Amino acid sequence: MKAASILIVHPDRKTQRTMQRVLGSTGYLVEVVDDIAQARAQLDAITPVLVVVDGSLLSAEAAALVDAARAKGVEACMTLLGLGDDKIPAILTMGSITNLLSHAMPVLADELTITVQKLIRRDLFGAEKYLLWGTELHEVTLERASERHGIVASLGEQVRARGQAARVASMAMLIADELISNAVHNAPVDAAGVYYRADLARDQEIELDAKHRVRMRWGCDARYLAIEVRDQFGSLSRDTILTSLAKDSVRETGGGAGMGVALAYRSSDHLVFNLHPGTCTEIIALIDVRNPPTERAGASSYNIFVERTQ
Amino acid sequence: MTETHGRMTIAPGPTPGVLTLGGAIDETADLHLLPKRASSGRLSLDLAGVNFINSLGVRDWIRMQAAATEAGLDVELARVSEPLVHQLNMIVATRGSSRVTSFYAPYACDACGREESVLIDAVAYNDQLVRLEPPPAKCPECSAQMAFNDFPERYFSFLSG
Repeated sequence: MKAASILIVHPDRKTQRTMQRVLGSTGYLVEVVDDIAQARAQLDAITPVLVVVDGSLLSAEAAALVDAARAKGVEACMTLLGLGDDKIPAILTMGSITNLLSHAMPVLADELTITVQKLIRRDLFGAEKYLLWGTELHEVTLERASERHGIVASLGEQVRARGQAARVASMAMLIADELISNAVHNAPVDAAGVYYRADLARDQEIELDAKHRVRMRWGCDARYLAIEVRDQFGSLSRDTILTSLAKDSVRETGGGAGMGVALAYRSSDHLVFNLHPGTCTEIIALIDVRNPPTERAGASSYNIFVERTQ
Repeated sequence: MTETHGRMTIAPGPTPGVLTLGGAIDETADLHLLPKRASSGRLSLDLAGVNFINSLGVRDWIRMQAAATEAGLDVELARVSEPLVHQLNMIVATRGSSRVTSFYAPYACDACGREESVLIDAVAYNDQLVRLEPPPAKCPECSAQMAFNDFPERYFSFLSG
């Protein structure tokens, strides 16, 4: 039986070699092809765990490749975007792209490695995976909805107290507010599929019992500030996320459901969704605090991971 | 006298007819009250003290802008803080038909590492800003020339209407 593999579709030789080196460390067989036609041929012969398609190759053929990969049981389909690339709207309309890494370098090695390791080890949850070893994660659990304001303000103060710029603190506050608000109001769902808190006023006090409590953790390793928010419902779906990220109406009118997720995405450098349907949803936002904005990719990365139910 | 609306404050500005907003604009901010306080067909807001705005605050802000437009008010935004500029750039509808006369922008000093939010006069530097050229700024700590600390095409996009 052929070993599990990763299929890379990238036209640039240097990047191909870099990715082979980076992903070779995972122990998986790394299959590299130059174009979509070769990838289709490979896909007939193998079922990779992950398909990575460079953003420069995106086309109707690439969309068909990704759809075929997902139909065949590939766990995740990823696209790489270079600096200044403006293909995100097109990517988001390709519903099968579950992971986007936007990178200023030929390959963002750590993001790629973490993504692949999470898939291989079936160990999806926890912001620790994105931070350097030993980084302390501060944890707080909401027991009442009204605690959101104090938690968000405190986060901003603590981030500033650690020497981070006002811009970073401001982004962190916005992201935390949106993710907590979503977890408190939009995650709870009953057996009939009714989101029974979605329409409650956000300033209405709600006592959160054990099932409804929301956990936020955050930490900073001087590369990334990570904010992780977790609910215990697992009601957020991959399709809902992709729809929210793709919403034109958010940019044009600011309207509609999913605006919180869209704002969190546009305010972070990397947004990670870890989904365990029916059990929990964990969203991790990473803000790059090491590189000035001008040295980073203009677009944000995202990853959607779904826990296997069997 | 300063009024409190949720976590936002409204106070008389430094000049007559100007309202100074501060704090957080969220679901409790009551922004719809602002157009009623316009003076001589003009709503002038000093926004330097706004340190936070979330998605619900954005919705309220858009409604406030729409109400002001419907009432035929001239909306002038001065000293717009970075969190608000961020929203003006992300969500086109937040701009309404308002005019921005000045705003804060992120700069960084390569010499001493200081990061600073610098006030930019959008009227005086209009031509330069249209060309996406950030105005010069000196570091308040070491007096070296600071560099603009964001992508001009992204940060100044709200000025293009």
